[in-house]
Amino acid sequence: MGSDTERDDVTSVLIVGVGGQGVIMVSKVLATLCQEHGLEVKQSEVHGMAKRGGAVFSHVRFGRHVHSPVIPAGEADVLLALEWAEGLRWLHFLDPENGTFISDVRKIVPPFACRDRGRGVAPQYAKTTPRDVLEKVSVGYALDATGIAAKLGNDRAANTVLLGILSTALSFPEQAWLDVIERFVPPKTREINSAAFLAGREWVKEATVPEGEVLPVPEVDTVLKNVVNRLEITEEWCKGCDICVKFCPERCLALNDAGKVVVKDANACTGCRLCEMLCPDFAIRLHKELPAEVAQ
Amino acid sequence: MNEIRVTSADKFDIRDWLRTELMPHFMCPGCGHGIALRALLWACHELGIDKDKLAIVSGIGCSGRTGAYIDANTFHTTHGRPLAFATGLKLARPDLTVIVITGDGDSLAIGGNHLIHACRRNLDITCMMLNNEVYGMTGGQVSPTTSAQRYTTTTPAGNMEPVFDACRLAEGAGASFVGREATLQIPTLKDLLKEAIAHEGFSFVEVISDCTEIFGRKNALGSSPEMVLKQKKVMIPERSDNRIAQPFRPNPFPTGVFVRQERPEYGAAYRQMCERVQKGGKGR
Repeated sequence: MGSDTERDDVTSVLIVGVGGQGVIMVSKVLATLCQEHGLEVKQSEVHGMAKRGGAVFSHVRFGRHVHSPVIPAGEADVLLALEWAEGLRWLHFLDPENGTFISDVRKIVPPFACRDRGRGVAPQYAKTTPRDVLEKVSVGYALDATGIAAKLGNDRAANTVLLGILSTALSFPEQAWLDVIERFVPPKTREINSAAFLAGREWVKEATVPEGEVLPVPEVDTVLKNVVNRLEITEEWCKGCDICVKFCPERCLALNDAGKVVVKDANACTGCRLCEMLCPDFAIRLHKELPAEVAQ
Repeated sequence: MNEIRVTSADKFDIRDWLRTELMPHFMCPGCGHGIALRALLWACHELGIDKDKLAIVSGIGCSGRTGAYIDANTFHTTHGRPLAFATGLKLARPDLTVIVITGDGDSLAIGGNHLIHACRRNLDITCMMLNNEVYGMTGGQVSPTTSAQRYTTTTPAGNMEPVFDACRLAEGAGASFVGREATLQIPTLKDLLKEAIAHEGFSFVEVISDCTEIFGRKNALGSSPEMVLKQKKVMIPERSDNRIAQPFRPNPFPTGVFVRQERPEYGAAYRQMCERVQKGGKGR
């Protein structure tokens, strides 16, 4: 019985994103706003991987009495995602019947998604489209918040645009939101953040179900796909310092018995040029070539 | 097979810029000076500098020898004096792009005097200082930038002298462009050198290089790939015991552009004065 009553009373907002986007700022604004309206707020977060694009999430729960600071899976009233793949990753936390899904469609591809890929192929990334998500949630908003913010003059205000969308899903007055935002953003960016917040609220009014695909499907570059990376090694110049062998991310190179570098696995080369650039003796040259039959 | 050249790295072929008949160069295996040389030539390539209009002046030391491999106008001068030669060269031939390649010993110890006055005058030359913490060519003696407690042939019990921060010196002496980068980050180094060359006025770039054979081996700093990878960590600018008091400074050697300011360029001012004097004025 206890949990049921609590659920009726408590609103749970899950904010997710990638380090540096402003997940914590969004949750601080929300938590402060709730406190000022006399509600009890519990917030818990995981951050710290923030600097290099790591995943960041923040649970914000508010109501008359909040017991647990953590949102159980499937019970979030709002899922606010500052990055598309993060939104998809946390989708199971959203209440499937009454939850509101809000997400930026911009992608931030993590560095490790670039590994082990074929030539000319775009990095792996979630292929789920906003239309797919719309079938799984009761209310869903997917927008290019970063683009909206960039148009206003600073793409870093994307989180405030999304805050504007969030404000329409909750019942606090517009001015109260603006007052709190003003306190949390750096003084120089107050104006742009207010504008971004209002732009978010405006966007919801005109939101429609998209006609086509919002997310572009990654295309394979027909030219780059066929490029052959040929490593030319000038043996007389090589002094066997081992830098290229140790730095090659694909481990294509090796030193032979004479202490000279040789190509061990030519097919693994992705053409990153690290060996060429870091060779102190200029003994490695990379040629990106197109076979004659493909060139025609 | 058709070669594809799309990016700047594809288009740049270092052999167009080298005196290939002199190769392989004399530097030891794993010496960072080669990487720095590539960054410099890459920057020149991207700026579209004509080889005939490029003058490289270098001093003595491992750094001094790197200049000799460039297929441009190169001038191998006396120890510590490349900046003095370059000053004369730039004043006589303002149409040339003058780049000085110097080392930590060459520019901070023997040529320290010339460095501060070149910074002060603000003549439009670029000074690339290759900092490998040691006098490599002369046998591994201690240099003004040798990190705290490091062993060299002249500090058999470890270096006890405080260390020179070349960038702060150049800044204090009045250089209008000061930057620092490690050879590990060669594309960034190339961009920094590009900015330095394009900057009108005296620009000073410190390149963190590595000396594996003479310095690294004596101090057990590992093989050349390890030294390149750890470049910014192994350099200790102050006395190493200072670091305990600074736990939140994991990178003691910051990189990037430190100074970029507009100051009257010496060459232009000098030519104006000459004109006035030639007309019979007093020069003021």
